[in-house]
Amino acid sequence: MGIVRRTALAVGVVLFAAAPAAAQERSATRSGFELPAHSGKRILVFRPSVSVGAQSTGGMFEPNGDWTEKAKRNIQLSLERLQGRLGNSVVVAPEAYGEDAQRVQEHMALFAAVSQAVIEYQFFKGNRLPTKKRDNKNQVFDWSLGAGVATLPGAQDADYGLFVYNRDAYGSTGRKILQVLALLGPGIAVKSGEHAGYAGLVDLRTGDLLWLNADGAMGGDVRDEEGSEKRVRQLLEDFPGGDIKQDS
Amino acid sequence: MRQAARLLAGALLAPSAALAAAQKAAVPPPYAGVYQPQGVDEIGWWREDDESERVLAASSLVIRDEALTGYIRGVLCATVGADRCHSVRVYVLREPTFNATMSPNGTMRVFSGLLLRVRNEAELGAVLGHEFGHFERRHSLNLFRTRRTGTDVLAWTGLLVSMAPSYRAARAYRDLQWSIYGHLFRYGRDQEREADSLGVGYLNQSSLPPQAAAAMWQNLMDEAAASARARGLRKPNFKAIAFTASHPPLAERADTLAGLARIDGEGRDNGSARYHAALAPWLPLLLDDQIKLNDFGASDYLIQNLARDGWSADLWLARGELYRARGNPRDVEHAAAFYANAIALNDALAPAHRGLGLALLKSGKPGDGHAALRRYLQLSPDAPDAKLIGMLVPGGNAP
Amino acid sequence: MTRIWAALLALVAMLALPVAPASGHKLRAKGEAVTVADSGLTVTPGRDWNRVSGKPGKNAETWTLDGGQLNDLTFFGGIEPGKPLVKERHKKKDPLPKFGKATLLVELPELLEGTYRAYKKIGAFQTLSTAPTKFLGQDGVAFTYEYTDEDQITRKGEAVAAIVGGKLYMVSFDAPRLHYFDRAIGDVRALVATARL
Repeated sequence: MGIVRRTALAVGVVLFAAAPAAAQERSATRSGFELPAHSGKRILVFRPSVSVGAQSTGGMFEPNGDWTEKAKRNIQLSLERLQGRLGNSVVVAPEAYGEDAQRVQEHMALFAAVSQAVIEYQFFKGNRLPTKKRDNKNQVFDWSLGAGVATLPGAQDADYGLFVYNRDAYGSTGRKILQVLALLGPGIAVKSGEHAGYAGLVDLRTGDLLWLNADGAMGGDVRDEEGSEKRVRQLLEDFPGGDIKQDS
Repeated sequence: MRQAARLLAGALLAPSAALAAAQKAAVPPPYAGVYQPQGVDEIGWWREDDESERVLAASSLVIRDEALTGYIRGVLCATVGADRCHSVRVYVLREPTFNATMSPNGTMRVFSGLLLRVRNEAELGAVLGHEFGHFERRHSLNLFRTRRTGTDVLAWTGLLVSMAPSYRAARAYRDLQWSIYGHLFRYGRDQEREADSLGVGYLNQSSLPPQAAAAMWQNLMDEAAASARARGLRKPNFKAIAFTASHPPLAERADTLAGLARIDGEGRDNGSARYHAALAPWLPLLLDDQIKLNDFGASDYLIQNLARDGWSADLWLARGELYRARGNPRDVEHAAAFYANAIALNDALAPAHRGLGLALLKSGKPGDGHAALRRYLQLSPDAPDAKLIGMLVPGGNAP
Repeated sequence: MTRIWAALLALVAMLALPVAPASGHKLRAKGEAVTVADSGLTVTPGRDWNRVSGKPGKNAETWTLDGGQLNDLTFFGGIEPGKPLVKERHKKKDPLPKFGKATLLVELPELLEGTYRAYKKIGAFQTLSTAPTKFLGQDGVAFTYEYTDEDQITRKGEAVAAIVGGKLYMVSFDAPRLHYFDRAIGDVRALVATARL
């Protein structure tokens, strides 16, 4: 019965927070998947979930509409530019209505659940499922959303689908001062800011997850163009088809 | 240190004093027209809200019934006035608990559990008006700002205290902590009071009786008490009802609401007949969702409450299902009687014959039980469980 | 921000944190008979599964292929009369429906439905079909259902159950209706066919 799922996860979170450090994986590519440079693939970007704001001195998230809009635009531009350099083109998914919108949303929720499962049961070394342990040793990364993705609006005109999630909370001036003073004074480490992102590429014919990158501590200030470029570069680190880092 | 704490806390407390004085129901001010968010934080929250409304609109939990949604919207408009209700989009969610929320950008979420609990348009209007009051006064933004200030103060003083780690400083910090949390709690409660006052204020100006607000509240308290009694708990758990989680003390609240209502509004039509007609197509589903929550006391209370204007076959059926699900020998006997009542009102109600048959089998009356199950199969030969029921009846797959 | 994204965010943020010790998940290898749910119930999987660490109830255990959110196979092994299917959060404040001495086969789908609804506080649950079957060599019931969870994913489920010696034995499989249910249900049915007491 799938009802105790949540509790188990919550317990897991506590465990992870308390345990000692060990190696941790952040990205993986489906074995056998290759995307040669300049193969001219079309990548459909589903409405990226982007949220940018400030972190108050007390640690609360305060969304900033202006930053978010800027970040959205910058990330989109950087995606187009970087993918263009790899020889791919980026298509924005058309706005969907009614049943189409419901289908898109259910797939986005499934993508979230699949990513969650990848992070929880394959990337987390200590919590790997035995079958995933073996997969990992053999470099197998086998996850899918199913062939239903082919029916999503815009999928007919593209090869791959890209899901992007990004959340930034920039430490306010007060938070930064607090951080410095806390470290100088009693030597307490106060975390200022939060920068998390993940992105996943899906084959729009089969629904197979081709590549996933999830990072809880990303660089690059998404509020300006240069920073966004750095962020997207990190988001697309190890993206199949060329080393984006060196390609600049 | 202590002095500083008091000063800081005092500064925080100041804005709430104005609210405490409200004795008469607020008279809604002239409507300001289409509002646009102002300031970084408000614009930011609206944007987040717009995103979450997109998700909501495509959620499979939304009950997509134009007639029902339109009707609820109509009750909101009748309560707050046509110009105000322009700024609201209503979504009905299939969530079997008592709640309604309204977010800063004008998204109103109405839980199906609320629809089962209010008894007429005026009571529905009282809850929707309360939520609209939060919206009109932009409470969530103000609460956010107050929380931000409060947690900022705590962060700073926490740092100062850790730099001067004496017993007195630690104690002063604890005092400050309590006073800030207490302040936040009181602030939330004052907002509830203000929304209550506005909710009744809208009703006072409408064509619906404002006394409904107190009646609705009393009804909710009685349901919680019934739920607690059946579970053998000493006190009702009001925290479990999302709508009441941060609300003023209950008895005080019902009294206050009653006092705010215009006396001459009492004779107005509360729209009970219209409400029941609009809800009728959904009632069996809502009852089913409620019964299966396994909250015996609350469910039995709700059914009897709905039956105050007369028992219907649906209500008897629901009560039979509720008692059969609990399944004590005495429950099964009661259940059989309730199903029989349902059948007396509507012989074509197939699930009642099914329930009656199962209840009779369990209470050792297989003869009558088989007859009832045969009738069920006759009425509903394609039921999902027809084969299985058929096996319970001797010689029986053929209806 | 929706809850799914928020949950994911928490997970992603955890990536920056240190990592846990060895997990308690256990391999259930293809072809090896194994007892489940601390009971006499034995199954022989036709492919490799993972037994998830921890258990939902005293006489229950869960297996998965890709994680509980994507495929959840739960065994209930000998639930006694008067007991709920899974552990209650709070016996008095949040009671769950109980299996009873007088519970009929045809009422078992209602028991599972009531447990899900009460535990998750959801309304969107629907039993799709109910049919007689043989399970553990006895008359049993097979049923299918569908529900929408807090994470906005609609899941399909299929279960078989029988009452043996006054105790309830049941196997349920839940997975998102997109892709995951259809992909594994064949393996699940094959596994259920190997169940012995």
